[in-house]
Amino acid sequence: METFVAKKINDYQTGKISRRQLIETLTIAAATAYTADGAKAAAADPTLKVALVNHVSYTCPNFKQAADWYSKVFNLDQVGETKIDVALPFGKKGEKPLGVTANDVPLTHLIIRTRDLNAPAQPGATPRRKSQARIDHIAYTIADFDKDRVRAELKRLGYANPRQDGEHSFHIVDVNGYDVQISGIQMSALTDLPAR
Amino acid sequence: MEDFIAGLVDDLDSGKVSRRQFCEAVALAAIVYGAGEEAANAAPAQGFKPIAINHISYSCPDYRKARDFYSSVFGMTPVPQADNGREARLMFGPGPGNGGSFLIPRNGSMATNAKAVVDHICYTIPNWDEAKVRAALKEKGLGEPTGRPGSLHVYDPFDYDVQFANAVQENAFRR
Repeated sequence: METFVAKKINDYQTGKISRRQLIETLTIAAATAYTADGAKAAAADPTLKVALVNHVSYTCPNFKQAADWYSKVFNLDQVGETKIDVALPFGKKGEKPLGVTANDVPLTHLIIRTRDLNAPAQPGATPRRKSQARIDHIAYTIADFDKDRVRAELKRLGYANPRQDGEHSFHIVDVNGYDVQISGIQMSALTDLPAR
Repeated sequence: MEDFIAGLVDDLDSGKVSRRQFCEAVALAAIVYGAGEEAANAAPAQGFKPIAINHISYSCPDYRKARDFYSSVFGMTPVPQADNGREARLMFGPGPGNGGSFLIPRNGSMATNAKAVVDHICYTIPNWDEAKVRAALKEKGLGEPTGRPGSLHVYDPFDYDVQFANAVQENAFRR
């Protein structure tokens, strides 16, 4: 693919093809390469290859309060509540995650909990290690992102000045002061690249 | 896709990206093909409708160690042009723009004013084969995981708890 692209750049820069022809050629080539790469990826060892986030485990002082915040802001149902936690799936039972064709990949969900992460381990269990890393924020892709509509809705929810991050996302903090990013599907690993 | 490539050509013409960066970006953009920009459902009347995790921002003392761990153990795909010496991006799941997600390991501190913590992320692994999963962990030097069959935990290089599971053991509707 890269050799082909390099040749097409040469053709463009030496005037053999126009800008329009370069763009059209590369668009078609990229589509073809995707199909080939997909076949190659399927053939690779998939034993530990992750398909999706299953759940985000969120621990806070009052799980009911936090769950209500996420339900209100993200329209999430609360299922399977226990004395210490509750799950909030990204959809209804039986729905498939966006972009997933496999039948054994469930909807992503939040598990919002109240528990002491520093509590002594149960007898016979290994103590939890103290992490040197942290997840400082989670970005959620929302349906039909429209910057003006999102800004207006955030204002209605009490966020008059959300921090805009690029053309397709805003940051707010949740009821526990945790950073939450709300993004459009247009924001991906290939867009809004960090400064070098 | 076409708009993306047109933008890249602009960047090439203006010198913002090198020939090498251009070639890499087009090769990577190939995976965008087939991605639908249209979300599955319309926005609700109030609030928002999350359809996927867009990304996870992971702060740690040395992003390179995390980058190498998550790509080599869990098959996440690095995006070369997003690696700036302070952070990286690792794609996984559906294609970008079609419900795909990415992890951003970055150099950062543990300091926070938040009263909440994301204490672990659980990833779904399809076509789960318990024996093969455990053998693969051993082969990658991760030893014996904790957890239960179908839902396992290991620690990453910074002792962050990583869970991975199949759809039977970890499913919101089967709690």
